[in-house]
Amino acid sequence: MPDQPGPKGLTHTAVMDWMTRFAATVRSVEPELTALDQKAGDGDFGANLVTGLDGVRRALDALAAGAGNGERDRRGPDAPLDAAARVFLDDVGGTSGPLFGLLFQELADALGMAADPPGTAALALGTAAGAAAIQRVGEAEVGDKTMVDALVPAARALASCEPTADPAHALHVAAVAAHRGARSTTDLRARRGRASYTGDHSRGVPDPGALAVALLFASAHAELTSLSRLPVS
Amino acid sequence: MPQYFRDSPESLVPDALAGFAAAHADLVAYNPDHGYFHTRHIAPARRVGLVSGGGSGHEPLHSGFLGTGMLDAACPGRIFASPHNRQIFEASRAVARADGVLHIVKNYTGDRINFGIAAERLAHEGIRCARVLIDDDLATDSDDIAVGRRGTGATLIVEKILGAAADEGRGLEDLVALGTDVTRRARSLAVAAAAHTTPQSGTPAFTLPDNVLEFGVGIHGERAEGTTPHAPLGKLVETMTDQLLAALPDSAGARVLALVNGLGSITSLELYGIRHAVAKALDDRGVGLDRSLTGTFVSALDMRGFSLTLFATDAEALRLWDAPARTPAWPL
Repeated sequence: MPDQPGPKGLTHTAVMDWMTRFAATVRSVEPELTALDQKAGDGDFGANLVTGLDGVRRALDALAAGAGNGERDRRGPDAPLDAAARVFLDDVGGTSGPLFGLLFQELADALGMAADPPGTAALALGTAAGAAAIQRVGEAEVGDKTMVDALVPAARALASCEPTADPAHALHVAAVAAHRGARSTTDLRARRGRASYTGDHSRGVPDPGALAVALLFASAHAELTSLSRLPVS
Repeated sequence: MPQYFRDSPESLVPDALAGFAAAHADLVAYNPDHGYFHTRHIAPARRVGLVSGGGSGHEPLHSGFLGTGMLDAACPGRIFASPHNRQIFEASRAVARADGVLHIVKNYTGDRINFGIAAERLAHEGIRCARVLIDDDLATDSDDIAVGRRGTGATLIVEKILGAAADEGRGLEDLVALGTDVTRRARSLAVAAAAHTTPQSGTPAFTLPDNVLEFGVGIHGERAEGTTPHAPLGKLVETMTDQLLAALPDSAGARVLALVNGLGSITSLELYGIRHAVAKALDDRGVGLDRSLTGTFVSALDMRGFSLTLFATDAEALRLWDAPARTPAWPL
């Protein structure tokens, strides 16, 4: 009697695949992200994000091959997020990339401290902590046309889910909220970041950082709902 | 068209960092893995590490003020660009003491964000970290400017006073309160007769007609709100002095410290002439000049101009100002 594919949790493998999927998705839309950032910003966002994700890819390969951060269980669900945090904080230029690093760092902490496997409660905690850290540093509010416009709605959506809800469902709600938030930036005039210097040129262009946040949650949702792999027994 | 003496635009900063480290090897060391300088001599009583940093092109700020009585670490960015959070994070980790680390940050968006990310990472590692934000530039004191006043000459005063206080073993909150208060009591204004030369292109960042001054320039070659005719020095200094005195808090007494600072390519001859004019302007207004410092400390590449900083002193600030310091560039 073969195993039937069941709902996936946020296992080490699932989080590894989430990061891999996010990297592939960003790579496929990088020209669009760059074009948006050239219209309102300094044009380096897409390239910085791809550079970071290439580094994450190498870090994940190293993790799979047995390298690790001595403080963490390298087979834990948090290890891939911790690897991503280090790469984005240390090796990506500009400001948006390292701010993503703070989000990954908080997600890693929340998943690392949760019961195994981590679920909706850990996702909600990590996303809220990431949003708070990014707002402390960047001093942006919702409506300033930054990644916060997608991240805060995602955090709120996750917080509104039952802590015991299926994480796939919670991520669906979060991805929809982040996507709506990212689309809402289109008509805004930037008030923070490089795009704020372009004045009304930023109108009509969605914020690439907010779109990248939406892709992050969409990737997680897609990973948990894909039935392409049998659950690891 | 003056050109910089360098092998290439890309070599300007790295070669200078290497030269600085070698020239002052008795006082400072450079960490090549993470791109920061740290002092070789730490006052034993210090409980808080002092870290600053910012774009290159403002020399001798910040690396010139590393050492006993001043900074523990300095993080140089590319020319006129914020250091990366990794430089700040690693420098802070390296020099944090029992009561953590204090970041001395000039108020620019990039610096705020990068020091902020480093602070989040330090908190994540359980290292106490706080910030003093320097925002003394009177030219950007406007409700229209959402990001607030720029940080300029007062940075040197804060680094000196906080360094002396840190050497007395004061704690983190105490130093934050002192640094915030010093910043509140200091204002600066800068004028330029010619822009700096852009290293990449070798051309001036902006051009001015003859006999016109840019009044209220920043330290990154930013244009000012307006220009002013090249008035005689005495008149110019009087105007600047009046504006600065009016901007100091009412609670401040009628005694000041003056920093007469060259922006890069102004001569000592001129700076001491400016120092003379400042003393006269203050005297005419019944304001006592307790201390002064004249030279090039916070520059803007080779900008032909100067800044004037007035700081409302008190006995405590003077005592800390007078404390000995041994760094590559502290002149007293």
